[in-house]
Amino acid sequence: MQATSMSFFVEPVNADTAVIKIGQALDFRNAAEFKTTAQDQVRSGIQNFILDFTDTGILDSTGLGSVFSLYRQVSPLSGQVVFASVSRPVQVVVQLTRTYKVFRQFPTVDAAREGIR
Amino acid sequence: MVVTGQRFTKLDNMIDELHELFDQWISDGVFSSDLDADTVQLLRLAVHEWIANLIQHADFQGNQPEVILDIYPNGRRVKCVIQDNSAGFDAAKHLKLRMENLEPFPERGMGLLMLNAVTEYFEYFRSPVGLHRLEFSVSADFYPWLNIPF
Repeated sequence: MQATSMSFFVEPVNADTAVIKIGQALDFRNAAEFKTTAQDQVRSGIQNFILDFTDTGILDSTGLGSVFSLYRQVSPLSGQVVFASVSRPVQVVVQLTRTYKVFRQFPTVDAAREGIR
Repeated sequence: MVVTGQRFTKLDNMIDELHELFDQWISDGVFSSDLDADTVQLLRLAVHEWIANLIQHADFQGNQPEVILDIYPNGRRVKCVIQDNSAGFDAAKHLKLRMENLEPFPERGMGLLMLNAVTEYFEYFRSPVGLHRLEFSVSADFYPWLNIPF
């Protein structure tokens, strides 16, 4: 089953895990929408998030902040936020901020589904 | 190849316009072959962060916004100048505050820090012609790090 939540495409994996397809950008223009989307998922019981950055050309400081916000929400619940199929522009931000220390990365969404079990 | 006088006036599509231009410049080979793709991406990120800051926070005092972008690639380094007709702000003070008050996993307040981290230097001042002027350089030989507390 697949569902679209605002501008972000959400694909449930199981009762507590979902994939959020980030799309072309996660930045100051849509970070609030991302937060709302993620919060809705957390309220419905999702604790583990796979962020699919396949098509993402822009991740800015506000976008990264919204991912931190999600991490702060789910980490007390023993939830996880992982990155999948990280595009080069996103990888540059990950390296700049050393956030690979916090968010595990997987080469594909399928690998993340397996790895997050 | 130098890019000068790239002018933006519409805040609502400035970011889209900027990234379309970067895509075009990369496709046209504007950036020197000495600049690797990641360094060009850091340049793009720095420009994005600054323009995002202008869009969200700048006071244009009722005037039509005007932002002018110049890019000067030079070997393994690229200099960038962004001028605008806003009222400006005390960037050094804001940067100091952000550095001193950065919380673990911050949600906001990383834009200036990101700009500071990716650039070899940056200066922001009011130019003699009355525009506010940001100058910075990004280098392929500079290893940037934004130290976020985790």
